[in-house]
Amino acid sequence: MRLLHFSMMTLWSLAAAASAHAEAGGTIDPALSPRNASYIIDAKLDITSRTITGSEVILWRNITTKPATELQFHLYWNAWRDDHSTWLRETKLGSRRTVPMVRPDERARIDVTSLGVRGNARADLTTVMRFIAPDDGNADDRTVLAARLPQPVAPGASLTIELTWTAHVPRTFARTGVIGNYFFIAQWFPKLGVLQDEGWNCHQFHSGTEFFSDYGSYDVRMTVPARWVLGATGVERERHDNANGTTTHRYYQDDVHDFVWTTSPDYVERRARFEHASLPPVDMRLLIQPEHTSQIARHFEATRAALKYYGEWYGAYPYGHITIIDPAYQSGAGGMEYPTLFTAGTRWLAPDHVDDPEDVAVHEAGHQFFYGIVGSNEFEDAWMDEGINTFSEARVMGTWASPTYVSQRYFGGFIPYVFKDIIADREIVWNRFAGYRRNPKGDPQSMTSFRYYPATGGVITYNKTALWLNTMERWLGWPTVQKTMSTYFSRWKFRHPKPQDFFDTASEVSGRDLTGYFDQVYRSSNVFDYGIQELRSDKDGDRYRTLVVARRYGEAIFPIDVRVTFTEGRKVVEHWDGKDRWHLYTYDFPQRAVTAQADPDHVLLLDVNLTNNSRALTPLDKFGPKAATKWSLKWMVWLQDCLLTWSVFV
Amino acid sequence: MTPVNAAEAWRDGIRRVFKAPAIVAGVWLVTTAISLPLALSLRTELMNHLGASLAATSAAQGVNYEWMQEFADQATGLGTTFRPTIIGFGAVLDNLSAFMDAVPRPVLVIGAAGVYIAAWLFLAGGIIDRYARDRATRAHGFFSASGGFFFRFVRLAIVMGVVYGLMFGYLHPWLFDRVYTRLIRNVNVERTAFMIRAGLYLVFGLCLAAVNVIFDYAKVRTVVEDRRSAFGALAAALHFVRRNAGAAIGVYALNVALFALTIAVYAVLAPRAGGSGWMMWVGFAIGQMYVLGRLCVKLIFWASETSLFQSRLAHAGYLATPAPIWPDSPTAEALRPASPNS
Repeated sequence: MRLLHFSMMTLWSLAAAASAHAEAGGTIDPALSPRNASYIIDAKLDITSRTITGSEVILWRNITTKPATELQFHLYWNAWRDDHSTWLRETKLGSRRTVPMVRPDERARIDVTSLGVRGNARADLTTVMRFIAPDDGNADDRTVLAARLPQPVAPGASLTIELTWTAHVPRTFARTGVIGNYFFIAQWFPKLGVLQDEGWNCHQFHSGTEFFSDYGSYDVRMTVPARWVLGATGVERERHDNANGTTTHRYYQDDVHDFVWTTSPDYVERRARFEHASLPPVDMRLLIQPEHTSQIARHFEATRAALKYYGEWYGAYPYGHITIIDPAYQSGAGGMEYPTLFTAGTRWLAPDHVDDPEDVAVHEAGHQFFYGIVGSNEFEDAWMDEGINTFSEARVMGTWASPTYVSQRYFGGFIPYVFKDIIADREIVWNRFAGYRRNPKGDPQSMTSFRYYPATGGVITYNKTALWLNTMERWLGWPTVQKTMSTYFSRWKFRHPKPQDFFDTASEVSGRDLTGYFDQVYRSSNVFDYGIQELRSDKDGDRYRTLVVARRYGEAIFPIDVRVTFTEGRKVVEHWDGKDRWHLYTYDFPQRAVTAQADPDHVLLLDVNLTNNSRALTPLDKFGPKAATKWSLKWMVWLQDCLLTWSVFV
Repeated sequence: MTPVNAAEAWRDGIRRVFKAPAIVAGVWLVTTAISLPLALSLRTELMNHLGASLAATSAAQGVNYEWMQEFADQATGLGTTFRPTIIGFGAVLDNLSAFMDAVPRPVLVIGAAGVYIAAWLFLAGGIIDRYARDRATRAHGFFSASGGFFFRFVRLAIVMGVVYGLMFGYLHPWLFDRVYTRLIRNVNVERTAFMIRAGLYLVFGLCLAAVNVIFDYAKVRTVVEDRRSAFGALAAALHFVRRNAGAAIGVYALNVALFALTIAVYAVLAPRAGGSGWMMWVGFAIGQMYVLGRLCVKLIFWASETSLFQSRLAHAGYLATPAPIWPDSPTAEALRPASPNS
């Protein structure tokens, strides 16, 4: 009853917000998004039984052109209810992840105890609730709940939906759950799918993909033990100590499509502010683990870098505040994005000038733009947030975090060692090229993301996109790609773009039809591999007869340059459309050829074999034996040390 | 003779090792002889992969990380171990870490290690005999002792293999897969998890050291007392260590400290990637100095344990086995002046 009164008041305030002035506390005016799915939630966490008891009211508006005849909800936590869920079946298929070993009482579940609607008339839908499996027909999967409406909701009409539920907090699965006294509560409440003209887009929870939902306003009350620190999407508006030793926190945020929260007595809280000459200021709140307090500045600086560069390149971050969560060890909650909040992730021993926490913080902060503000469908087109964001993260790291060195961890992964000879560069390291090269053919990117082969889906989603976007940048120039991205960002913010929307923007901005390029990198799993097959330069009288054969070893096609250098500094650059299997270039110069290079400027970052891209003649061909000697000597010392270590056995 | 304490035995062990530099040189040669063919094989692989590519230029002048990854990804066998971790002190961390975490190595590396262990098994008799006599035994004496004790050590090695096999096959997985996993299950502070793991490393290391010290004294007693039974030598070693626990542990601890010091010095001096000119050879020389250091440490283990044993249960220089007498070669007979009656 209290919730009903509270929800009516809040709904009134949500409606009134459209005409009010912008104010602090998570309110944004005028509205940036359609706000067609707004939630008022009241949740109580019992840390002993690890149970959340919740009730919610959803103000939903049908923004499609078709009437809605049923409702569909995500119940994500049921993915970890038993081994028969689609999520767990897929996770077992993928070698990249391991299935968490949990006891039965550590599994999750979410049970909707009541469902009703208030439109023209009140109706209890509890008895007509049913589980559906739209993606794979798995009758044991309970991650999508459907209920037929007593009467259709017409286009433009609204509906108030009321639910109550109980949920058991799992030991961590997929960045959600509890370990010790650390709770990270994500994807935790019954959440509406997205109604589109084609029908409900409400996928089951899959192991390799994330989420998709409509924008709205979230007004959430969370009751947790008193004195525990709480972080959540949005801004805290109220805090009330209860007589039973608990505290209720109320957080509010407009124009977001999800809500997450975390609580623990151990968090250390720090605040800082992002300020920029041409971008709005952002209050940063960091909740960090006590063992990582020496890294407070690193977290803030990385977040500042993301807000600055994404803001300058694409568009401003509009919320005015951001919460950075440093998750507890083994919580599995690191490296994840949520509206106005993200989890970073670091280690107790984290030397300066290595990848984390900076890289993960930049990546997840960057998701505020691609995921948070541009709300693409992560189930179907995961590359549109993860890939575009990996490209952007790599660009920030290459611009801001240089030099960063490659490091490796030893002794159970605890002890880091920094290889100061190896600088992490954008093209190879930050774009995650090595991972792509190992599995370039997993799936064509155009396949629906949740159907990717689980073990290689990440490579196709993250790495390949970063590489083809960076290739575009090297091919068309940063101004063109920057304008493409900022146009796409501004055109599609607070909306749900599809892949063709991005491709259309790119072709429009660049002024050229890029369909052929996207056919190669997006609609195909073909591999790029260009090389120099043959280089000869034979004396013929007082001239040299030079012969160069450039070859396309891979199936994918991209126009490349072929550069031949001769003695006395003479250079010839040929432009090859790269379509034929090979192309012969011959020269009759007084100078002898020295080198030939396919794609000498390394425009095509997707080329999986770079060593064959060039050939050298005397004297440069002497470097092969020199390099081989140098590295085999180093390896020999490693082997000798290895043998000596094993000699303890005798 | 007054029994020496741990420090004295340790110092005496160092003295005995440095008094016999040929042994250090010999084991370095063995170490190099086993690793060099594999290094040459890898060199051929690297050269074939690079061909006449310009990628070789940056690989020769510094680190071509992209090429390094490309090579390792395409390689099989030995080539899969060609990763950044071979650079400088990373190599030591990699090997120690892999040892303590029981990380499997490629078959060829395991094969090389097997040959290396067999070589040590053969040389052990001659080395301990040399340190026990504390005087030059010359090549013929050294190899005579090596040959004489080899099959006794092979029998001992079977026992050692079983014990170490149990340690790495059962104790290690039990400690690190079951106990560790259980202990840190609800730990949400990394520092605590690390302390637990470090504690388990200590437990495993102590178990390893305890077994190691028994086997070391079994070898020493086999040589010094001319024992034939592997089990008898083990029982005698156990008895000795129990009766002289303080000194035996002290000597072992001092040697472990010396090992740690050697590692620490190399951590400071370890060469970085460098170029392919003379610096490459300087870097390699530093690497070989480190290898020599590690070999000396291993030999000092045996020499100091021999010294301790001889001071406690025998007298310095005591050996039950007589000095080996190498027979004349047929050539010597031919060169001998003919007797008047012949």
